[in-house]
Amino acid sequence: MSVIYDHFERHSHGEGLKGRSTHYCPGCGHGLVHRDLAESIEALGIQDRTVLVSPVGCSVFAYYYFDVGNTQAAHGRAPAVAIGHKRANPNSIVISYQGDGDLASIGLAETISTAQMGIPITVIFINNAIYGMTGGQLAPTTLMGQKTTTSPEGRTKAMGMPLRMAELIAQLDGPVYVERVALYDAKHRIKAKKAIEKALRIQAEGRGYAFIEVLSECPTHLKMNPEETEAWVKECMEPIFPLGVKKDEVVEPWWDAAQTPNFEPEKVLALVGASQEAPTRHAKGFPLHLGGHDISFKLAGSGGDGAQTAALLLARTAINEGFDATNIPSYGPESRGGTSYADVHIAEHEVLNPGAPDPHVLVAFNAPSLTKFAPTVREGGVIIYDSTVVEDLSSLPPLASGVKMVGVPLTQLALGLERPMVKNIVALGAIQAVTQLFPPETFLSTIRMVLKDKPALLPLNEAAFAAGLRHASLTHA
Amino acid sequence: MAMPTSTRPKPFLEAEYCKGCLRCIDACAKDCITQGEHVHPGTGMIPVILDLENCNGCQLCIQACPEPYGLRPETEREVSSADFELEDPAALFGPRAGHLQEPQDHPGTEVPISAREPLMLKGTYASAIGALLAGCRHVFGYPITPSTEGAELMAKILPKLDGAFVQAVSEVAAVNMMYGCAGAGLPCATFTSSPGFSLMLEGISYMIGAELPGVFINIMRGGPGLGNIAPEQADIKLACRGLGHGNTHGIVLAPATPQEMLDLTRLAFALSFRYRNPVVILGDGYLGQMTGVVRLPATLTKPGLPAWAVWGDLEHRRNLISSILITEVDLEAHNIHLNEKYAEIEAKEQLSELYRCDDADIIVVACNTPARMAKGAVEVMREQGVKAGLFRPITLWPFPIDAFKPLLSHAKRIVVVEASPGQLQDELRLALSKAELDHPPISSVQRYGGKLPEQVEIEARIREDFRLMEDARTMEEVKA
Repeated sequence: MSVIYDHFERHSHGEGLKGRSTHYCPGCGHGLVHRDLAESIEALGIQDRTVLVSPVGCSVFAYYYFDVGNTQAAHGRAPAVAIGHKRANPNSIVISYQGDGDLASIGLAETISTAQMGIPITVIFINNAIYGMTGGQLAPTTLMGQKTTTSPEGRTKAMGMPLRMAELIAQLDGPVYVERVALYDAKHRIKAKKAIEKALRIQAEGRGYAFIEVLSECPTHLKMNPEETEAWVKECMEPIFPLGVKKDEVVEPWWDAAQTPNFEPEKVLALVGASQEAPTRHAKGFPLHLGGHDISFKLAGSGGDGAQTAALLLARTAINEGFDATNIPSYGPESRGGTSYADVHIAEHEVLNPGAPDPHVLVAFNAPSLTKFAPTVREGGVIIYDSTVVEDLSSLPPLASGVKMVGVPLTQLALGLERPMVKNIVALGAIQAVTQLFPPETFLSTIRMVLKDKPALLPLNEAAFAAGLRHASLTHA
Repeated sequence: MAMPTSTRPKPFLEAEYCKGCLRCIDACAKDCITQGEHVHPGTGMIPVILDLENCNGCQLCIQACPEPYGLRPETEREVSSADFELEDPAALFGPRAGHLQEPQDHPGTEVPISAREPLMLKGTYASAIGALLAGCRHVFGYPITPSTEGAELMAKILPKLDGAFVQAVSEVAAVNMMYGCAGAGLPCATFTSSPGFSLMLEGISYMIGAELPGVFINIMRGGPGLGNIAPEQADIKLACRGLGHGNTHGIVLAPATPQEMLDLTRLAFALSFRYRNPVVILGDGYLGQMTGVVRLPATLTKPGLPAWAVWGDLEHRRNLISSILITEVDLEAHNIHLNEKYAEIEAKEQLSELYRCDDADIIVVACNTPARMAKGAVEVMREQGVKAGLFRPITLWPFPIDAFKPLLSHAKRIVVVEASPGQLQDELRLALSKAELDHPPISSVQRYGGKLPEQVEIEARIREDFRLMEDARTMEEVKA
């Protein structure tokens, strides 16, 4: 068998008899399944495409024996590792070889989710109704009443009934072929071999995921001789784990084994939205009249007010003018509703601290935001608030000296355009009017840039900006 | 009429490879095999006895034998050179089919990209784009706030580049998909946040053990437990001292701007492959969400395939990815090898930024977003005549002690600013201690639970430290 190493170099460095003997106990079923797998790989001519994922359990050392690409996985994670290999090299034939503790206990989530993904891999599941490597403990497939070191009086109902994996996997939509086989006599060994070869062929042809459960013998931990164990599998296990094909769908090949990732720079840059077009600059210089080389804004409202979008546009505007800017959004765990505010900094050279605990400019879209943040606005700063929703300023906490209050009916102006959602753009117009941050054309070209792919929305947004600018200019003047 | 005799080969057995399980006896319809009586001196097992007079070569006994070199067909019997004068099989038949050559490193290439306008990106996007430019086409992840946008961008872009974003059933599955993909030799990454990072630690330990590259972008949030989704820096201990069980370390990078999220993510892939080790990017929740200017580099990486990969082809067929070394001597040797690797990283890969540190009396130490608040505070204090400076570690492990050491000649006070209960300070203290360096008093500004230190708090702390420093000087003068 050319798929089994001539010499087991990895088994205690191949010293002595270990160079040609397995580490399995006498009569263990693993060796038989190894042979079936090796012969199937050879028969299908896929040795130079195969990656075998060894699990944790007695077959942890499967890589001692198979002359294929080998990976050894953490306990229960072999199918996830297999997906990693298959995704990296879609042309590889990936086998996840697992025992009952690995597949049906600790790795149950990986087992089910991988099966449901249906990506063509082959899972070989050795069910011998007991933990081998750790020394004969209760497995998810242990039979009712069966004594193990962790069910010394026998398995009871409260430990859970034996888990029938083949049936469970077969009822998922992902797999195309699921069969349970056994090894206890010559006839069943031939069936097992056929099933394993078929499962691999289904993968090699790119048809899908296949799962073979093998009822196997563990004479050591069942404390029987191999012959008695074969009889036990037949008489005690098989009634609980009926043999046969559980699912066999005819699926046309769909997996693209030839897929190779793209590294063309132009394609990558287009996808990340990198442009060669330099934005037009309109400003003569940094707006030092606002009180320094770094101006901070806070835009606050409730989710859906558009504070986040307005903040992004504000920062983008400064960047388009060649300055530094940052924007930090802050919102609650709700996807909609709840509080929502953003801190924006615009700096001539570099934003040092991106937070805005004491902003130069506050835009408040509602009364709670105004009450909360108005007192934080620094001396000589500006507050723009939506006078449609904030009518009463009498309960406002005291402000820093020289803070200007500018009420603009943001909602009402947006409603005038029959689109309440553009009140954030109205607010940008108001910011423009009150701060003279940059020439108005800077905001407008940023809006055009952002709406490049949605030109139909442009007139509305331009109108919203103009409305805010006009109204705030009148009020502010 | 005589029955036609079978042409199929009969079995043979080398007794030392028989474990005496007797499964073959039942399989043989001709009763050719019997239980042995004598213990084999080399194995301690009792091999079966073959009497092949009635054997028809049905081979069912061979199929029943669990040992690959147990019962085998006669045709596989190897003749010993004592019997025949053998010619060299290679000379006779040429190299064996599928003969393995030593796998080679196929290096990646840097492909120039034409100049682009700066982008305006949030930190998670910048990191995702950094990964794309580093040649990463495989991302495995599980949604968790506040890191998810990175994964979302990858889910959008990677299929268009014939790569893959796989949403795993959990972080545990995600890290193991990375183990597989990295084992195949390709760059891969995940975006996660503190609770998810905790779940990945087991897998990271396996990756370190198996010497696999992979980039973990952890946007730290408030903890412990579910905590909240606001920024914190309380995974520093985990990333620097607790990457899963066993003797583990990984380079930990701490960006402070969206630009660095891109640059350090690119660097992370390079380091990850250079050292065959996972690399962690620790960002805070602010940084993940913060939008800023990001300039693109001049090249992108087209990855190659390392010699050690388990790619699933002839060249790499001999390779094994594994973290198990069952004999003590092998595992000790492996740990010595890992230690040498860690020592090399500690010597070569320290990164830091020093801002106005040259003449500073008070050194503020901070990383991630708090370093920006600290920078603001340093600037304000300088305007007020206090000689403050910012030391910003960019690698948290290894801690950039080599760059810190010269500052100790003039530093009178150290202020560690962090959104954690002293985890950064612990790294600093450990690095000072290991380097056997005396240091001035260390004070701190710490916030927890999703609050970041504010600039005014840092200013106040520096002011207080300045006063303590002046007091100490006065005392010295009085003594003198």
